[in-house]
Amino acid sequence: MQGQRKYRGNSKSVSVSDFFGAGQDALGLEIVSGQDEMGRTISEPAMNRPGLALSGFLQYFAHRRVQVLGHAENAYLLSLDEATRVERIRKMLECRVPCVVITRNRKIISGITELANESRTPVLKSGMITGDFVNRATIIMEDLQTPVMKIQGTMMDILGVGVLIMCAPGIGKSETAMALLRRGHSLVSDDLTDLKMDSSGVVIASCPTGIRYHMELHGLGIIHVPSIFGVASVRGRKTLDLVIKLARAETLRDAGPDDPNAVVAMLGSSVTCVTIPVAPGRDIAGLVEIAALDQKLKKLGHDAAKELDEKLIKRMSEGRD
Amino acid sequence: MTNRTTPDDGSSVLSRELIIENVLGLHARPAAMLAKLASRFDCDISIKKDGAEVSAKSLMGLLSLEAARGTKLLFSVDGPDAEQAIDEITRLIESKFGENE
Repeated sequence: MQGQRKYRGNSKSVSVSDFFGAGQDALGLEIVSGQDEMGRTISEPAMNRPGLALSGFLQYFAHRRVQVLGHAENAYLLSLDEATRVERIRKMLECRVPCVVITRNRKIISGITELANESRTPVLKSGMITGDFVNRATIIMEDLQTPVMKIQGTMMDILGVGVLIMCAPGIGKSETAMALLRRGHSLVSDDLTDLKMDSSGVVIASCPTGIRYHMELHGLGIIHVPSIFGVASVRGRKTLDLVIKLARAETLRDAGPDDPNAVVAMLGSSVTCVTIPVAPGRDIAGLVEIAALDQKLKKLGHDAAKELDEKLIKRMSEGRD
Repeated sequence: MTNRTTPDDGSSVLSRELIIENVLGLHARPAAMLAKLASRFDCDISIKKDGAEVSAKSLMGLLSLEAARGTKLLFSVDGPDAEQAIDEITRLIESKFGENE
């Protein structure tokens, strides 16, 4: 819940129509009524079973969520006399719920669509068992709400470490990627990368579908990476573990000392960032590879720089005493 | 505390003895600051300590000195921007690399 709250601020707005589109096959959704009202926004990804609301208790009613009427809600409504039933349904719909889903292909309670039309609320149905529906629909909603962005950068998988290489045009991003491919690493995306954050706050990189597995090399034009390097040279998606910025050495001369704890924010998540100065004669691909491996070591809890520093401080303090 | 010696033998080498003042000595962070600063200058900057001589532009060289608090380092600077280099290095070391006690 903590993690969700952190990024909910920049999550995407999802309409009933988006939810229907994504859930049509996966959830077997069908529109019962309110086809013209599908533009309504669903602002919370969780599903709500409005038992308490239908019993008349509307305090804390989670009205921003999809309202799921399952077996129990259906049976409860049928147990009420008609006047009360209409009143309760109307009260719930007056809270401007985004939409109502009736699961298990229950017979639609008479009057519910008329009431829904009155409040311009779409009604959907699904053949799924309510519990399963709630689980799967929540995952679909979270996926739809997931923050996404496109970023100028080349994404590689270097021995299991997801590395995004960023730099100004013409410094040699694609050439570095090509050298890394020649060393046996794999490409996720060249030059333009899609980032999205999953529900646990991990940033995942992939390639925009249209240009997938292609890259452009100055002077050569566009190449198809798996045709040249083999199918193992590409992968569809990879978690983002490390951002490497390439910068001309002369532009870094006046910068402060290298900060081993530097991070960049990606979709609100902090990702370790290393800046590599580019100068003639430097093997950038080799340096990127080492940076990735060092990051892997750090993740395993082995920080070489920190350990050497501690050792030195200890030696110096002993020498002084 | 520091002592400036400019030899009169015709060479343009500037020498200055500086004392490491920060509590933890010349460990990774200050060494990185010093190496980064030294690398900005065109002149050669060498440091002598107990017979060992290293370049101030080399982080590993600086760390190998194991210069604890109170250590005297003899800087020799040779090149066109020597004066500015030694002044800025002096300032950095005297500032204790921004480290608090």
